[in-house]
Amino acid sequence: MSKHQYAMVMDLNKCLGCQTCTIACKKLWTDRDGTGYMYWNNVETRPGMGYPRQWDRIGGGWKNGQLQPSPLPTMDDYGHAWEFNYEQRLYEGKKKPVMPSPAPTSGVNWDEDVGGMNGEENYYFYLPRICNHCTYPACLEACPRKAIYKRDEDGIVVLDQERCQGYRYCIKACPYKKIYYNEVAGKSEKCIFCYPRLEKGEVNACVAQCPGRLRFVGLLDDPESPVHKLVLVHRAALPLFPERGTQPNVFYVPPFNPPKRGNYDKSILEDSRLPLDYLIYLFGSEVRDVITRLEAELKAAQRGGRSELLQLLIGRDAATRYRIHPELVQIKL
Amino acid sequence: MRTNRVTLLLVVVLVTSTIASAQASKAPAGQTLNTTSLSAAADVLLNGSAVWDQVPAHRISLNRTPPLYDTDEPASLEIPVLDVRVVRASGKVLVQMSWADPTHDSASLPEVPNTPPETRFLKLPTEADDRFFDAAAVMLPTKPRAVTPSLQMGDTDDPVRIYYWNAARGPMLMEAAGRGTTRRTGASFAAHAAHEKGRWTVAFALPDLPAGTPLAFALWNGSQKDRDGRKYFSVWQALQ
Ligand code: SF4
Ligand code: SF4
Repeated sequence: MSKHQYAMVMDLNKCLGCQTCTIACKKLWTDRDGTGYMYWNNVETRPGMGYPRQWDRIGGGWKNGQLQPSPLPTMDDYGHAWEFNYEQRLYEGKKKPVMPSPAPTSGVNWDEDVGGMNGEENYYFYLPRICNHCTYPACLEACPRKAIYKRDEDGIVVLDQERCQGYRYCIKACPYKKIYYNEVAGKSEKCIFCYPRLEKGEVNACVAQCPGRLRFVGLLDDPESPVHKLVLVHRAALPLFPERGTQPNVFYVPPFNPPKRGNYDKSILEDSRLPLDYLIYLFGSEVRDVITRLEAELKAAQRGGRSELLQLLIGRDAATRYRIHPELVQIKL
Repeated sequence: MRTNRVTLLLVVVLVTSTIASAQASKAPAGQTLNTTSLSAAADVLLNGSAVWDQVPAHRISLNRTPPLYDTDEPASLEIPVLDVRVVRASGKVLVQMSWADPTHDSASLPEVPNTPPETRFLKLPTEADDRFFDAAAVMLPTKPRAVTPSLQMGDTDDPVRIYYWNAARGPMLMEAAGRGTTRRTGASFAAHAAHEKGRWTVAFALPDLPAGTPLAFALWNGSQKDRDGRKYFSVWQALQ
């Protein structure tokens, strides 16, 4: 366990699926050789296959203190970084339509907005994902080179590019498949929680750019930070797949709206458009209590009361949404 | 593993300056020879060189490392033996390893251009993330000692040097002083490899080594997802 722990909370009720976060991350960190297919931040439609497809069903993580097996996802599962044949179409006079190549098999939000059906009602929501900077990282345990370490000062999990030999045990071990292999470099790489930005007092790129203003950042152990309040005080946010044993430090406010048509005052727990079973699958059975709390706050606010939790979740300004701990800012600009 | 000092005589054929005419003479071990040129040594490395045909092969049995992790897929002994030939030429020890491996696990990885990626519109893609390549290595002690270092990449007091070749990435010289400490030195060495008729033939040019130097061999079979300690290995063999 590290001395401090940076954490992120994402309010799934506010995500637009715009992928601005994905692009912010991509432009900043994965615009190099070999990184075309990888998205350290991705936003996927749920229910859906996810990226890499079926990542939530293939294994990894811990069970009874033991790492669990998992295959490596393939490039077909991630989706190749395809190119379009504009040249042929636009300059060489070929009549063929503009087509991607290699033929797409999957992608960062492959089944966008498809969702699922609950009776006659369609439902879906977006799930933005980054590395969870876990308290017990399975990736770290699996690396025979000890190339992965958890920074003591802020709990960020990083992968030392000098030590990595590209063995990919970490990718198999991560139950969230948030480490990627760069074959050109022969090394694995992952989200670094924008630590060079945090050290300068700037919040993560995906957070800064999010037009939905749904990402909250701070130290989990700092009582003044919004993540501390959302996770530990209001207990309004939960980690994804807690049973995989890594203790993630990215938390989600579960989607608890909308109700079915014509059921405006009904609880999601009574007559949900979003099947509760699916939320339990993602966030564990505690999601029921969290939704109960969120609905109570919403009801109170609708009756004209003031909800501190909802005010926080609205996140009007940067100061509400993130607190970069002043002691951890190393470079004063 | 320190006690595994099974020594097997690797017949060393001292190649005389007649190497160009590919005549290997069986001179007694220990004899020094400095009349052949380096380019001749480089010629010998090539598989086509008739020199190797005249050198008897030593068949070395291979072992599989036990699974390192509970999560490892089981792997069978698909490559039970390795044939090794050794030749001394031009102040070098030339080692040829050959083994049957029907799966040719290699790739021609793109040459990374010298220009920074941000100046290029098209960046090199990762073609595959789940393939592993065939590889071979010869390990030897860094300093001459009476005892052989641990087979598990040496020990703190007895470091090892590893001449490692990877079918896709080529030869690289590594160092280690115990398990988990292997690192690339950045140096390389001359090597030649060919995969023909379901068989790898890979030759390394090692520096001159005194008789008695222990050598250990390792192979990685890409199709068995070999990498790291998941591999085939031999016990120490004494070079004569
Ligand atoms: S999410 Fe995966 S990669 Fe990130 S710290 Fe946890 S186990 Fe490691
Ligand atoms: S930038 Fe924000 S709103 Fe847009 S997809 Fe990412 S998390 Fe959702």
